[in-house]
Amino acid sequence: MVDTTKNTKLFTTYGVKTSKAITTEIAAKMISKAKRPLFVIGTAGLTPEVLDRAVKIAKAANLPIAATGSSMLGFVDKDVDAKYINVHQLGFYLTDPNWPGLDGNGNYDTIITLGHYKYYINQVLTATKNFTNVKSISIDKNYIQNATMSFGNLSREDHIAALDEVIDLL
Amino acid sequence: MSKLTTGSFSIEDLESVQITINNIVGAAKEAAEEAKELGPMGPTPFPGIATLRDWSFTLFDRYEPVYTPMCDQCCYCTFGPCNLEGNKRGACGIDMKGQAAREFFLRCITGCACHSAHGRHLLNHIIELFGEEMPINMGASNVIAPNIQLVTGRQPKTLGDLKPIMEYVEEELGQMLATIHAGQEGAAIDYDNKSMLAGILDHVGMEVSDIAQVTALGFPKSDPDVPLVQVGMGTIDPKKPTIIAIGHNVAGVTYIMDYMEDNDLTDKMEIGGLCCTAFDMTRYKREDRQAPYAKIVGSLAKELKIVRSGIPDVIVLDEQCVRADLVQEGQKLKIPVIASNDKIMYGLPDRTNDDVDAIIEDIKSGAIPGCVMLDYDKLGELVPRIAMEMAPIRDAEGLTAIPSDEEMKVLVGKCAECGECKIACPEELDIPEAMAAAKEGDINALEALHDLCVGCRRCEQVCNKDIPILDVIEKAALKAISEEKGLVRAGRGQVSDAEIRAEGLNLVMGTTPGVIAIIGCANYPAGSKDVYNIAEEFLKRNYLLVVSGCSAMDIGMYKDEDGKTLYERFPGRFEKGNILNTGSCVSNSHISGTVHKVAAIFAGRNLSGNLAEIADYSLTRVGAVGLAWGAYSQKAAAIGTGCNMYGIPAVLGPHSSKYRRALIAKNYDESKWKVYDGRNGQEMAIPPAPEFLITTAETWQETCVILAKNCIRPSDNNMGRSIKLTHWMELSEKYLGVMPDDWWKYVRHEADLPLSKREELLKKLESEHGWEIDWKKKKIISGPAIKFDVSAQPTNLKRLCKEA
Repeated sequence: MVDTTKNTKLFTTYGVKTSKAITTEIAAKMISKAKRPLFVIGTAGLTPEVLDRAVKIAKAANLPIAATGSSMLGFVDKDVDAKYINVHQLGFYLTDPNWPGLDGNGNYDTIITLGHYKYYINQVLTATKNFTNVKSISIDKNYIQNATMSFGNLSREDHIAALDEVIDLL
Repeated sequence: MSKLTTGSFSIEDLESVQITINNIVGAAKEAAEEAKELGPMGPTPFPGIATLRDWSFTLFDRYEPVYTPMCDQCCYCTFGPCNLEGNKRGACGIDMKGQAAREFFLRCITGCACHSAHGRHLLNHIIELFGEEMPINMGASNVIAPNIQLVTGRQPKTLGDLKPIMEYVEEELGQMLATIHAGQEGAAIDYDNKSMLAGILDHVGMEVSDIAQVTALGFPKSDPDVPLVQVGMGTIDPKKPTIIAIGHNVAGVTYIMDYMEDNDLTDKMEIGGLCCTAFDMTRYKREDRQAPYAKIVGSLAKELKIVRSGIPDVIVLDEQCVRADLVQEGQKLKIPVIASNDKIMYGLPDRTNDDVDAIIEDIKSGAIPGCVMLDYDKLGELVPRIAMEMAPIRDAEGLTAIPSDEEMKVLVGKCAECGECKIACPEELDIPEAMAAAKEGDINALEALHDLCVGCRRCEQVCNKDIPILDVIEKAALKAISEEKGLVRAGRGQVSDAEIRAEGLNLVMGTTPGVIAIIGCANYPAGSKDVYNIAEEFLKRNYLLVVSGCSAMDIGMYKDEDGKTLYERFPGRFEKGNILNTGSCVSNSHISGTVHKVAAIFAGRNLSGNLAEIADYSLTRVGAVGLAWGAYSQKAAAIGTGCNMYGIPAVLGPHSSKYRRALIAKNYDESKWKVYDGRNGQEMAIPPAPEFLITTAETWQETCVILAKNCIRPSDNNMGRSIKLTHWMELSEKYLGVMPDDWWKYVRHEADLPLSKREELLKKLESEHGWEIDWKKKKIISGPAIKFDVSAQPTNLKRLCKEA
């Protein structure tokens, strides 16, 4: 098993609260038990090895995908429920209990993030962290301080291995 | 007693006595009173914090403030630090949203102060040289100061008329700065209102700056055929003595250029600039369209890179966007640093009152690393002479930070690939991976980092092996750097009234699909080519591109397969399919001013002191969107926020989420997408566009889609809407692989649909959205939530309606 909790080093801090570093088992468990999850995938998720895992995770856990940036290109014809939305706009809409969601069925209780600039997703997640009860789980290769839970900093190889473990555990 | 005015007068019976009054205490308030008498005058000349609050709140009702705080803590006062996480309140009572709004506001007033102080300095300097009576000359236009006129109601005619404008801005800045203090303001939304005021005052301050220098320093005046300027690190001939000027305020540098010209040095030495001083150097005395000899090296991201190259023989600083470590960096390579503006003195000795020869001797001997020189006559002589004296000394020693081939091998070999640099890098560059490849002899990955790297040297400071990582990257990129030679159109200044008259109808009807204004700094998420890609995409689609500042430089760095830059491929008029460069940072005021001019000149609206009405017009009818893809500065925050208050939306790059506050609408909440019809005051539904006033995007490809969509305006005629929908749909399919989900919300009539897809889209409207279609006539019978009425007068202001 990849130790996804080991390296939580930060260069700068966003303040007092830091994300709980989680194992692949916890990540899979949190994804599985979410009642209304949304898989938020950024443009860095377009690298073939990450995209392949993202699609497998979405299918395994039946997750709708919010394709941010230009990641939507990767999900066309992948037989997943993906829709484009700007990630800053998404961060705001998640704070609105009346947002109908991407499918018209209402807001979400859990978001899972993958494929983002560390600085950008950290900033967007300050909205969910401070102004909502939405849980955010980062399964990216960087430790995301403003997520509720996050993998630590991982090498590319360890990150792919960790995603494979999550797929197996779902 | 008669009222005192500025100017000179004599006293009867007293010979040889002349009294000059330069300034009247309280002139701004007096000017405000006078402005009301000038007429026609709108309701809000010289606005204070409360004056335009209703308009701000009207905007915030649809475009809600979105807070993304940079830090959980507030550390302002000695009650704290307070943990505000989860929107808790601190010891003083402020909550997280209030604190985030205050932080954003602080950025806006800082940016406004920066441009305005720049304006004040230039204005005082230029008035000292040319006098208050010098007529303002911005080219062949009647509306010569649209921001000043819109905000204050004044229509300045002379340089002296700009003084009460500056006094007003300075007074409001003081009032606003006071509200940062603990216990002054608690409501986030009121900090946001103040941010909006700071934003519009920023545009006023910028306009004063550029009016002063365009008028007096021989800059091009609304000229679409300005010369092309060399841009790039590779344009500097390292064999010549080289002056590098860094900053934004060209006042002192003009003396250096005069000295070079007077002493026949322009072809014997190089003068290059970074950031906006560079642009203004190439505008100085170039209204005659002569090709400038001054060159543009590049943006802030290139500052450390050019210093480390060892090319400069002297660096002259003025103000804004100057790295704080240039003296230390210069010292390592015996590059003297001369500070020419009292805002930046960097601990250097002030030698303003000393003899130039003595200063040069002290610099040559190494007794001082540089100096402060605030006497511009001396500065003009000092800087070129230092360059001439230091060049042979520095050449003889071969001073450069770039490692030799042997040193490069050793440095790369030291890397332990620990990953500390990657965690520290603000661009998240995979430096360890590039180092690993370089160890194997492949420097391509290191070379590729050069354009992505913003030259901040955070990596070097955390390196456990003390590797000068920036130097290693630059060594790998030496060939690419030597080939960095582009062309950018010199700053032309304003758009003329005649150009507005010719293009206004196309803009308001939408048949020119939009104005895309690419401005701002170089903190790009993925290198400088992004702005070129965006500009090319929209130029090929016949949008009207307006650019300025560092983005304008970077757009000129790339060429097509025929070796031509966009500035060579597309002309510089204010027409669709053109790319015009207004100039430096302060020339951004001409971009917002152009939008005001559309309302004033094309639509005949009164500009004076009439901000809400003009902004409302722009928001509902002018398809202009700003893009600050690499915005890093407080000035950029102020510029963007000023645009927002003026009804102009702006997209920023992902780094700009760190500004902490966006303005985004709920596109799903129909109650927010209603305006009044000015003919009768009845509510009318409008499409959800623009969807934001200020937001961020992740990639340049996503940005293309966002920009096209948010050029849509309620006033578009059928052909205009059809053209805009065509581009939006095509860009979405090109860059996101799909049609937009919500395209149908923008359809009012079958004629709105893109011609090439009309039948296909009618089918979708019927099958997916339940619209009723008459297939014989291929017409929409029912379905659209928005009605098309070519005579409708959309407005957010009830007071403008005829029956209000």
